[in-house]
Amino acid sequence: MLSLPGLNLTAPPLDPVALASAPAITRTQDLSPNKEFRFEVPFGRTITIKLLSGTAEYFGTEFAPNQLYSFSGTKGAVYSWHGCRLEIGGSGGDVSEYVAEETGMMGYANAHFSLEALRERAAHGIEGPRVLIVGPENSGKTTFTRILTSYAVKSGRQPMVVNLDPRQGMLSVPGSMSAAAFSSIIDVEDGWGSSPISGPSPIPVKMPLVYHYGIGNPELENGKIFKPLVTRMALAVMSRLEEDRMSKQAGLLIDTPGAISAGKGGVYDNIEHIISEFSVNIVFVMGMERLYSDLTRKYSNLPSSDTVNIIRLDSSGGCVQRDEEYMKALRQAQIRAYFFGNNDEVALAPQSQMADFEDLHIFKIKEGQDANALFRAYDDFGSTPDIYERVTPTPELQNSLLAVTTAAANDRQEMIRDASIRGYIYVADVDETKKKVRLLSPQPGQTPPNALILGSFPEDVPGLVS
Amino acid sequence: MSSSAEVAADFKDALQDLKVNSRPEISNLTIIAKENTEHAQAISRELENHIQTARPEWKLPALYVLDSIVKNVGTPYTVYLGRNLYRTFMDAYLLMDSGTRRAMEGLLRTWKQPVPESMDARPVFPPEVTGDLDNSLNRLRSVTAQTNSLPPRPPLPPQGLPARPIANANATPWRNTPTPPQNFNRYPATNDPRVRQPFPPGGQYGGYPNTGTPPVQFQPNQPYQPPPVTSIDLNTLKADLGKLIETTKNTWAANPADISLQQKLKALLDLETVLRTQTLPPQQLEAVRMQIQNLSPSPAPTPLFNPPMPVPPAIRSPQQQAAPTFPPANPPVNLAQILAGLPQPASTPTAPPPAPTPSLADLLRRVTTPTQSSSTPAAASFFPPPYSTAAAPVPAPGPIPAAPALPANLAALLASMNTSSTPPVGQTPHSIPASLPIAQPQTTTGTPALGMDWVLNALKGLPGGGTPLSSTPIASEPMTRQTSGQSHPAFSTDVELATASMKKPRLHLIASLYEAKPNMCQTCGRRFEATPEGKLKKARHMDWHFKVKDPDAQKRGIHRSWYITEKEWIEYREVDETNPDQGANGAGGPVKAPKKEAKDRYVLVPSDTALANAPCPICQDEFKTSFNKDANDFVWMDAIKANGRIYHATCWEEVNKGSGLGARESTPDSVLGKRKAEMGTPGSGKKVRAF
Repeated sequence: MLSLPGLNLTAPPLDPVALASAPAITRTQDLSPNKEFRFEVPFGRTITIKLLSGTAEYFGTEFAPNQLYSFSGTKGAVYSWHGCRLEIGGSGGDVSEYVAEETGMMGYANAHFSLEALRERAAHGIEGPRVLIVGPENSGKTTFTRILTSYAVKSGRQPMVVNLDPRQGMLSVPGSMSAAAFSSIIDVEDGWGSSPISGPSPIPVKMPLVYHYGIGNPELENGKIFKPLVTRMALAVMSRLEEDRMSKQAGLLIDTPGAISAGKGGVYDNIEHIISEFSVNIVFVMGMERLYSDLTRKYSNLPSSDTVNIIRLDSSGGCVQRDEEYMKALRQAQIRAYFFGNNDEVALAPQSQMADFEDLHIFKIKEGQDANALFRAYDDFGSTPDIYERVTPTPELQNSLLAVTTAAANDRQEMIRDASIRGYIYVADVDETKKKVRLLSPQPGQTPPNALILGSFPEDVPGLVS
Repeated sequence: MSSSAEVAADFKDALQDLKVNSRPEISNLTIIAKENTEHAQAISRELENHIQTARPEWKLPALYVLDSIVKNVGTPYTVYLGRNLYRTFMDAYLLMDSGTRRAMEGLLRTWKQPVPESMDARPVFPPEVTGDLDNSLNRLRSVTAQTNSLPPRPPLPPQGLPARPIANANATPWRNTPTPPQNFNRYPATNDPRVRQPFPPGGQYGGYPNTGTPPVQFQPNQPYQPPPVTSIDLNTLKADLGKLIETTKNTWAANPADISLQQKLKALLDLETVLRTQTLPPQQLEAVRMQIQNLSPSPAPTPLFNPPMPVPPAIRSPQQQAAPTFPPANPPVNLAQILAGLPQPASTPTAPPPAPTPSLADLLRRVTTPTQSSSTPAAASFFPPPYSTAAAPVPAPGPIPAAPALPANLAALLASMNTSSTPPVGQTPHSIPASLPIAQPQTTTGTPALGMDWVLNALKGLPGGGTPLSSTPIASEPMTRQTSGQSHPAFSTDVELATASMKKPRLHLIASLYEAKPNMCQTCGRRFEATPEGKLKKARHMDWHFKVKDPDAQKRGIHRSWYITEKEWIEYREVDETNPDQGANGAGGPVKAPKKEAKDRYVLVPSDTALANAPCPICQDEFKTSFNKDANDFVWMDAIKANGRIYHATCWEEVNKGSGLGARESTPDSVLGKRKAEMGTPGSGKKVRAF
């Protein structure tokens, strides 16, 4: 195996327009109390926001006064409880923005305060609230989770946040599911923030536990990976909570993919699985009356010890449909940021490496199988269920992302499936004649001999390395 | 980034640690000031604020800092500090015991002379600055002499004592005896038949030009007072107002997030307009003057003229009723009646003969019509004037009544200024603004509960309906009352976990996210409580910000770390940069990462050529030179320095098995990204960057 340092890898600039549209012109925007300034910035454009006076928060995280925050490829909202004056730079053109009168913030804040009451009670050894957030796509689940997390952190808590939505990564790339305890302020500009890097990071680091899921929609795979992974994560999270007093008291916040809220004929298999595995006792349903009423019916006649509180919150008017094109761009940006860091703040230096075909143990997720095949596999007692197939690198592999698991290549497939991951490597090039693969690894050093998982999600990221 | 605000904040933090006369600390602060002359204005402002607001026993060290800065750095500090020197010095002086006063007089003497060993023959401060101070001190001395010659005042019943900052009590023994409410009772309204002698308003400072509060201890010095309202007085008033506006502006500039300051500023500016454009009757001028005095950041005068609060029961909050400060109020109809109806303490005989000016109550009544509003200024004066540069935004006061109907809503104007000087909403004993003396939280526990409610209610009852309360959602919230005084655990219990409950507006709870932690990090927006602990946390937090600002990081090439494994994660505990023991995940607590292997140890490539060419004494193999990003230098990996020679760490470990590695040499922890910078390599003698 060969390591080639000094290839001088840089992320190709996103878009020359981004550089051209320097935020030279600014304007001030007054926001009266309880109003929200919403904006949509396409990729390649940047708007900057500076808080001149008053208070303002971005999904629960407060703006520091007179600091410049820049947003690109974001659909965001600045909310003010007390009113504020903002300085907006770089608006106009294809940046859309408006001030919203109606927001769901009071409901979100109430949700936080009701959880605070439970946390206060949990001070005496009982566990804190374990909250699940469900709802259809684009109903504001992740936003709500972020607000709850921010407010909890502001209140001096350390909530455990679990992201089960592979469409958006939390402290990792899309396609992953992760858990992390949040004890420090959430990055304003960069979603959930990023996972630790080798150097100092301007925002206190969050340490995620990451699993690779590798499929976009859990409803399409008959539960052969999603459910076992949820079980595994629940085990790890519960073990952590058992020991971590701070997080135990603050409780759990679980964000989910919108797909599982669709259900099948009023049965929400995956939601019920999550509720039982994480011992969830509070469910917030975003919008969706149907889901609310179905879940209420289902969980209303439980014995009082297992009460699951189902609460419906209105979806914010600020929730926008994020088309697939935008989501794809967002995913690519997240993957780029994983290797190269955020464009301006912290530039990371990933390593380009050459690896022989036989050094890579790639397991490709088998998809599109019918349920029977899966049952057969399980029925066949003692044998490994058919989850993955080993693949040798082909040119199709180029531009795809491989998850580096903690499992060894000769482990059983369930173990590979249940293993948390160390990170991702990117297949930059496949040379079939020389049987060599050029890889982009976040770190210098040998390519790990561990099992690597190849999934269908996220999709290939062309041009990550030129 | 090092903006003025940041430098000033750092300076302030350092100042707040200065509690004794410590030469190293003072010279340290002087150096900061010297190195940041471009931020001299901000630093001077912080220093002045600190001297104004610090506990009296900490004022003298701070004055020494001022002295050290003006003598060692000189301009531009002499210019900035000279502007407000009078106030800075006098306000502090008046709070001091005689020993400290002598020290301060000593300081003043040196300021009249050139800096020792300096080529410059000019005095430290220009004579016109020091001259004013001299005059005032002389007048004050004569006044004090007279006061002391008086027979002791009969002790007053203690039950009416308002919660008073302990700082004042400690520092002003010479005015420690009487308590404000009782004193006030001696000045009932003239039109009340029970009134024997109205009491003249006068200076409370002796020679201090900021006269205006009823004299309590200085009664005999009436003759020294300038006539209550003259043109000179008006000018002083304007000057004082100007000063106050300036200070407020500055404070506001440092805290643009503070809404209350903004509102206060607006009120002050409106007031200035009133003064400039209209000729006010003397009574109103008097009221204005008292208000300004009241708002000026000098803790001492405030308790002196606190009347009992006549609050109509209808707007009384439970907290207020519970507070011992207030006498049980009959439903009062107007201020004069209330005042008159209050028990007259035995001190009335000490009241001087009828004075030419109308009584306070009378003039208050003339300024404002309905009762509750007229009492507002007095009520709010229970609270320390705006100390806090870090004061939390107070969501309550609404847009201030606009100027048009000027004289009519002068009171409203005054009242609105007071609202901004009250402590933050939802204040619990631990959330007093950071710059308050530490002792205050205990002593003021009784008062915060009253603050917001009271003023709000008073505002609601203001005349003219000029206060558009409807546009201030928070203030007009029916639940505003719950905002104040409710402590952290209590607040949330009323939020029921049910769908319907989520829709109810509970804006008062938001205070726990904002006002409860008024001390904000200007870099990232993290908030801290205004307690000593919160301050300590913020200091550590700022240290952390400083540490992660690493200009060399980019050059070294940083990269994404691998995620930690399940087991490591379960045992991992989040690191809070505000906690002192950041190594909780290290050796002491649960192990975060596997212990560093011997092969991960390194030493810097020695500059000594003999050593640099020597192989490992154990295996005789040469060392491999590589660049280590953590050390930011070329190093030998898997190496250890022992007894002046360099070994392979693995060889060394092999040989010394059982005894382990000797000294724990540099073990850079790259994953966390935050470690104490002082972790170095004692062996190599060079500091290692440990993040």
